[in-house]
Amino acid sequence: MDTSKGTPFLELKDVNKTFNLASGEVTALEHVSLSINKGELVALVGPSGSGKTTLLNIIGSLDRPTRGEVLLEGIRIDGLSEEDLVHFRREKFSFIFQDAKPLRMLNVLENTLLPFNFFKPKNRNGNIKDEGIEIIKSLGLGHRIYHMPSQLSGGEIQRVAIARALITHPAMILADEPTANLDRANRLFVIDTFRKLSKEKGIAIVISTHDLEIANRADRIIHLKDGVFLKDEVVACTPCAA
Amino acid sequence: MELIVLAIKDIFRRKGKSLYLLIAIVIPVAILSTILLTFDNADSSLSTLASKFGFTLIVQPKNIRVDKISQIGVNTQEYIPEGVIADVERIVRETIRNPKDKVITVVRFYQEDDLLIGKAKVSSVVAGIDFKTELEAKPSWKLTSGRWPENDQEAVLGGSYASSRKVSLQDTVTLGGSEFKVAGILQNYNSSEDYMVFAPFAVIQKLYNKSGFVSVINIQNVSLDKDKKMLQTAVAEINKNIPNIMALSPQQFSTMKYALLKKSLKFLMAIVVATIAVSIFSIFNIVTSVLYSRIKEIGLLKSVGASRSQLLTIFLSEYLSIGLMGGLIGYPLGLIMTYLLDSLLLKLGAGIKINILYVLVALLVGVFCSLIASFYPTYRLSKIKITDSFRSQWEG
Repeated sequence: MDTSKGTPFLELKDVNKTFNLASGEVTALEHVSLSINKGELVALVGPSGSGKTTLLNIIGSLDRPTRGEVLLEGIRIDGLSEEDLVHFRREKFSFIFQDAKPLRMLNVLENTLLPFNFFKPKNRNGNIKDEGIEIIKSLGLGHRIYHMPSQLSGGEIQRVAIARALITHPAMILADEPTANLDRANRLFVIDTFRKLSKEKGIAIVISTHDLEIANRADRIIHLKDGVFLKDEVVACTPCAA
Repeated sequence: MELIVLAIKDIFRRKGKSLYLLIAIVIPVAILSTILLTFDNADSSLSTLASKFGFTLIVQPKNIRVDKISQIGVNTQEYIPEGVIADVERIVRETIRNPKDKVITVVRFYQEDDLLIGKAKVSSVVAGIDFKTELEAKPSWKLTSGRWPENDQEAVLGGSYASSRKVSLQDTVTLGGSEFKVAGILQNYNSSEDYMVFAPFAVIQKLYNKSGFVSVINIQNVSLDKDKKMLQTAVAEINKNIPNIMALSPQQFSTMKYALLKKSLKFLMAIVVATIAVSIFSIFNIVTSVLYSRIKEIGLLKSVGASRSQLLTIFLSEYLSIGLMGGLIGYPLGLIMTYLLDSLLLKLGAGIKINILYVLVALLVGVFCSLIASFYPTYRLSKIKITDSFRSQWEG
């Protein structure tokens, strides 16, 4: 991916993050600098405690760096107020968490449309509900539209999370271990869906994973260890081409 | 979908926890409603009783102790010498200064004793009355069956007394060793009279060796009825000139009785306050545990764009709805408890009457308990960061 042209969609400059715990100060990230462009699928790889989730949270403005800068489309966002960040996140980001199950009292379609309980969609033509149904169908859940989460498998639950992430037309999707706890077929389905979305819709997607088979299907792999940036590797995804 | 709809859906999803919350709210609301309704009934029953008697002025022994009052609310242990009757009448006539204005004096003698019905002993309140004068003062007094006594060995029973003891006309009841034939059954008036046995005045006085004493002197006079100032003067004059008695207007009579009830009200209200405190503490614990179990859900809602105020709206709407439901269930439960309490114990003759003000009080107390107890945990957890919610060890 060519990152040299124009302003990157998201840029981190010399980001540090430390946590003050009862046991003392813990450094989670140290001097991390990177940039991500629209349409890129980036995998953050590293062992447990390497700082993947912390980095993902800082990219998604869910957490603030202790030092350093976070810029989105050239605008610094790490100093924004919590209230501004709420509006900002609604417009730009969608999140997929490993543990975030759909709301149990809502069906698949209602879970997909959940964000619009909290804000109105901007610049949208057409019916939101129809679009939700289309997204659900495109993720292979056409037969589950009105099913409750208790009736879904683990793979289907993760697809509902993807549908919910897509409904807001985000510029960036951040997914923390989205394929953990899934069988191989579902893992591949999820990563291939991400790849397709990044290419077709130009969405920047950042995932954290332990799984190298999944990481190798990304455009870039960023290797982390003990909070330190080890390597930013551009990947030629052979199975993807096949 | 509206935020409120999300809240309602969640209540129904968490049926078990919602039910616990509901019970924690229903209990204090029901107890409060029961107390309010019972006191309301007691108040109206006393006023009704006083006005139903049609008496202008009541004279009773001074300083009747609460513990000396019988279960049905009449004094059966303190007496006034009969000589007082003439003094009372004289003061009344001097106050009204109109010889043509009729003064009716009705005296009663009350005694609590075991009545022998067949072989069963039943604790009863016996009223010795002069039937002719009583009927002159209270023409509305009616029998449901039988007739008024025509000799000294006949009695009339209160309606509730007769039905609860299964006593019929012409049955014989034994009182203080003397037998009385039941000549009539009195209509129910939702008063203590429904639970009394009435027999000729002089016979009862003699039977209990209290000749020359009465329990209460009731005066009926139209002028005093119309002129409250004149009535107050008569009451004051009687109290000033006759020792060891207390004259009261029916209004004062009910006020005095109400003061006794009020003393109990303070105690019962303390119970209500304690129940509400326990309820708030329980709700606080349930809400805290529920919200901690929903911590990942809170993180999810925030991650899809929910602001803190929207989260507060969802959660507080849930607890507000449960509070309202608690009030709506607690009030009818209070009505039923009031009815049962009255039927089994108090015998005030209260039916089931819906009081809109108390419905509102019940709803307010339900909402108050619910919101006060849930606000802090809700407020605190709405502040949680998305990252912290997913880091939490609590499972959603």
